[in-house]
Amino acid sequence: MSAPESLKGSELKVGDALPDFDLPVTSTVIVAGAIASRDFMPVHHDAEYARSQGAPDMFMNILTTNGYVSRFVTDWAGPEAMVRKIAIRLGAPAVPGKMLRFSGEVTSLAEESGEVVVEVAMRAANELGDHATGTVTLSLPR
Amino acid sequence: MAEMAKAGEETDEVRERLEVYVGKQMSPGALAPDPVNRPMIRHWVDALDDRNPVYEDEAFAASTRHGGLVAPPAMLQAWTMPRPKIEGIAERGGAPDEMAYDNPIIALDEAGYVGTLATNSELEFDRYLRPGDHLEITTEVESISNRKKTSLGKGYFLTWITTYRSAGEVVGRQLFRVFKFDPSTIGAAS
Repeated sequence: MSAPESLKGSELKVGDALPDFDLPVTSTVIVAGAIASRDFMPVHHDAEYARSQGAPDMFMNILTTNGYVSRFVTDWAGPEAMVRKIAIRLGAPAVPGKMLRFSGEVTSLAEESGEVVVEVAMRAANELGDHATGTVTLSLPR
Repeated sequence: MAEMAKAGEETDEVRERLEVYVGKQMSPGALAPDPVNRPMIRHWVDALDDRNPVYEDEAFAASTRHGGLVAPPAMLQAWTMPRPKIEGIAERGGAPDEMAYDNPIIALDEAGYVGTLATNSELEFDRYLRPGDHLEITTEVESISNRKKTSLGKGYFLTWITTYRSAGEVVGRQLFRVFKFDPSTIGAAS
């Protein structure tokens, strides 16, 4: 695999948009994330059980959501990025058959001892509404 | 029984009983079942199709400011997930094992606030983890709100903070907030 490029903090501007990322959520996507994160709660692999708990279907666990938020940001920023914080508010469930669209933009830039601390406001939404909204803080080389 | 403190927020005797938990440990401290390791990282990056080479390509990772292989930061909580007892997990509402430790979740379940909705997660990473780091966690109840009325019915916002350490060094923390509600009060007038 050819080495991906990383962004430089000095090239960024407040208001820069991240490329949208569309995740076609399926049962397999949900179960793969749940098991990789060692989360065996039935709502994340058993649709019938999830419905008995009032959910529309089985739904993505929070560890997986955080994993995709991290991936969304580092796919854009590159391998030199260091994620410092992922703060999200949780809303509509991510369920099979509903595309989850990740979008975001740079909201602040600050120089700090040779690197640039970047804040990204992000949203992951499907047709049910906002699944996760929040802020990711990362650092990049100048 | 409860008097209205302000719109949508009440003080009550259940909340008063919960006060003893604030600032206290929520569960016994725990050591991760396994140290940070490459096979579990591989499972994760395949599951999420995350192709950042710093997680798998040793030579490339060494050429970056990470200085070597690192674990995906969002795996932080995955390392310390307890080993599950699969039998009976649905009957336990998804809890990996019996919760024996006296904590506000059990107290709220017993008071009828059996519904749980996660509302906030804040993960902070002081540094990236590397294979060999072996995490230990402690979890403290940060706050419990007064009783609030929402579209899900009446309940309490419960916030806890988990601190992650490797060989005594704090490497990250997670704030987690859930709304514990009484499903029978959904749509109740007051």
